[in-house]
Amino acid sequence: MRRAIILLVVFGFVELIRPLGSSGYGSQALLAFGFLILAAYTVGEIAHAIHAPAIVGYLAAGVIFGPVGLQSVSNNALTQLEPVSGLAIALIAFLAGSELRWDQLREEWVGLLKIMGTELALSAVGLGTVLYLASNYIPFLHGRPTSEIIAVTLLFASVAIVHSPAVTIALLSETRAKGPVARTTLGVVLLADIVVVLLFTAAMASARTFAPTAGMADTSFIRIGWEIIGALIVGAILGAGIALYLRFVAEELFLFAIVATFLGAEIARIAHVEVLLTLITAGFVTENFSRRPHSKALRDAMERSAAPVFVVFFALAGAKIDVATVVVLLPVLVPLALVRVGAIWGGTHLGARWARAPETERRYVWMGLVSQSGVAIGLAMIIAETFPTFGGSLRSLLLALIALNETVGAILFRRALVATGEVPANPGGVSEPTHVSVIASDEPLQG
Amino acid sequence: MSSSLILVLLVVGGYAAARLAVGFIARRFLVVAGAEYLLLGILLGPRVSGMISSNVVDSFGPFITLAIGWMGAVIGAEFYIPSLLRIRGQVYQTALLEALLTATTVAGVMYAILVWLVGVSPAVALAPSVILGAIATTTSSWGIALAVRRLAREGAARAPVLRQVQVAAGTDGVVAILIFNLLLCLTHPAPPAGIRPPTPTEWAVITVAIGVIAGILYHLFLGGERDPDRLFIALAAAITLASGTALYARLSPLLPAMIIGAILINTNQNRTEIATALHRVQRPLYLVLLIFAGAAWQPSTQAALLPILLFVVIRLGAKLGSARLAARLSSRLNVLGLNWGRALMGHGSLAIAIALNYRLLDSSALPNLVFSATIVSVFLTDVVSARFVRNVVHHSRYVQRRTTEIHN
Repeated sequence: MRRAIILLVVFGFVELIRPLGSSGYGSQALLAFGFLILAAYTVGEIAHAIHAPAIVGYLAAGVIFGPVGLQSVSNNALTQLEPVSGLAIALIAFLAGSELRWDQLREEWVGLLKIMGTELALSAVGLGTVLYLASNYIPFLHGRPTSEIIAVTLLFASVAIVHSPAVTIALLSETRAKGPVARTTLGVVLLADIVVVLLFTAAMASARTFAPTAGMADTSFIRIGWEIIGALIVGAILGAGIALYLRFVAEELFLFAIVATFLGAEIARIAHVEVLLTLITAGFVTENFSRRPHSKALRDAMERSAAPVFVVFFALAGAKIDVATVVVLLPVLVPLALVRVGAIWGGTHLGARWARAPETERRYVWMGLVSQSGVAIGLAMIIAETFPTFGGSLRSLLLALIALNETVGAILFRRALVATGEVPANPGGVSEPTHVSVIASDEPLQG
Repeated sequence: MSSSLILVLLVVGGYAAARLAVGFIARRFLVVAGAEYLLLGILLGPRVSGMISSNVVDSFGPFITLAIGWMGAVIGAEFYIPSLLRIRGQVYQTALLEALLTATTVAGVMYAILVWLVGVSPAVALAPSVILGAIATTTSSWGIALAVRRLAREGAARAPVLRQVQVAAGTDGVVAILIFNLLLCLTHPAPPAGIRPPTPTEWAVITVAIGVIAGILYHLFLGGERDPDRLFIALAAAITLASGTALYARLSPLLPAMIIGAILINTNQNRTEIATALHRVQRPLYLVLLIFAGAAWQPSTQAALLPILLFVVIRLGAKLGSARLAARLSSRLNVLGLNWGRALMGHGSLAIAIALNYRLLDSSALPNLVFSATIVSVFLTDVVSARFVRNVVHHSRYVQRRTTEIHN
């Protein structure tokens, strides 16, 4: 009842004020930000009450109050709030990197690579094959030359296999889960994030040979190589700087947390290196080259400052979901999504068996790999820019698939964490402190 | 260079400079930090180096508004009613008289200067004069806080004049915010949509309602929770919503946010946590606000130098005279001394916030003159504001000791 009243009051408040306002110098952005924190958080609570992840609630709030729903948040406001999404992704990446401890990685990296490699390979082959076989039934592929269908298939598979560090980290924060499944899932997602950038580059280069391009996106190997190597270098320098700050200053951490991530993201953009990888590296270096109390204090400050940003980030993602396109493409989407889930399940199972991972990991890690979000969306945008003839349609298909996976994936991962008992007895969901605690676990992955 | 990177570099550079140089000097020599951020902003702004363009300053309007709103909430959080009730009515009377006398004196004299000296038409000069009156009323809270810490170490924190200075500074802030918001309601441009333009009274009601509704939403949202993260989210959401609404409706976020602060501090069991969260965020926001205030500065086109310098002088005179007159009218001259107003001469964060807020509003008259006058005044007085307070307290204690010795 309380939640319904909040939504009613906040919605009525915004609707009442709307005719009195102006649209100058980003005036809608702050209003939309404040509105989304309250509205999305409340819908997140409702989702949590029905045993769904709060993230699903945030996404739903975006759909409900966004441009396709009640229009409390306009397209203009969404554009003005783009920096919030950028900051959220940077924070998520830094937090993800700070969850990786070198001593644990050293023991587990072989096992993680086996799981990730098998899962990605099976997913890519499965999805590519299905799309190729079903090309006659997909409107924008019907009647196209075989070379173009192959190009589309390659590109589609390279994006459809991408996971979501954002959803993974956010769910681990929300549930405060710790244990082997949480740790292995996070490890696979982060490693895969690096690998898919390489795979996508290869797919783009191959697709260019099959289909002529008129777009300007630069996808040369040198460029992509620099994106990855450069990200590691920039991230390491940034992480070292943060570690030095923590060692010699360690004050105003709340401000510093936001400034450091913003700075990292901006430097990465200016240096044309991969933003996510830069921040993951920075987080990793900070965590492993700082004293534990210092790095923990920074992580706490970062999680505290990130909490409202995350809520708005996922609500904005929800607001951008084109519900109409999802509905139109549903007959194609459902089989593709099912094949993807099946491939992830099979690949993870085989990989975990190969890595001699415990039974719980064989059974549950796949559920954390279904979700997709920011990275996949970014790659879909590059395709649309590079291949004008079919890129737009492929982007719509991918975005619809991502929307489906983003929602279903979050639900599945939460179920997995609950089923394995890695969520504390009083997880608290949206109302508890958001400390990601996977590093606390001492159980290494066998491999 | 990317605007957000500029912001980050500004904050990092400013913070490092403040910490390494000014931080030490502030503690050692009782100097309030802040002016250096203003200077940094001016140097990087479009008028000097051009590293921060006017467009960048405008694009950070929402962020500046949030910082201003947060400052309002911090001021509101000072009004914890049970504590306020423990202070004698005479103290409030003196403080209120001082604030009103300063505001009216400065506004009146500046109106005359603008009309007769600068040649501005009487209709145009009215709003900037009132705003300058409101700005002149404010007192540097950082300076007082710094002085209180030092005086506490010296065993002088309980001096009656210090209590009067603290209450006067708080009252100055409230009076300035009320005058500013009232003026915005009176001069509010009609909304763009095809609806009946609200009357000034209706705008005033809307301003208050924004604060009250955001305060209610905070309570509804928080429920019975005491978790610090949730509390922070609720707090940030309430202030952001109120500030965003005020910006959208072309009002000031100061009064709505001040109302939120007052509501929360008086109706919540987590009073200490709220105050801590508010203060924790206020300082970084204020630093950024100062940098952007410096960057937003533009020389006035209205033969500015003389009125700006006159404003500084008139304000200082008005503060001294109003404080003395207020003490005399409240029969507290023997307790406070003739020159207790010197402790109120420091000009600080709230003045910057009001001036910047006024400048951000597209319908403002003479925004650059108002802004320049404020920056100069803050630049000249905030640095030594803590010393003003400390000297007044020391002088008052000396006078008291001498009086006691004579009586004995």
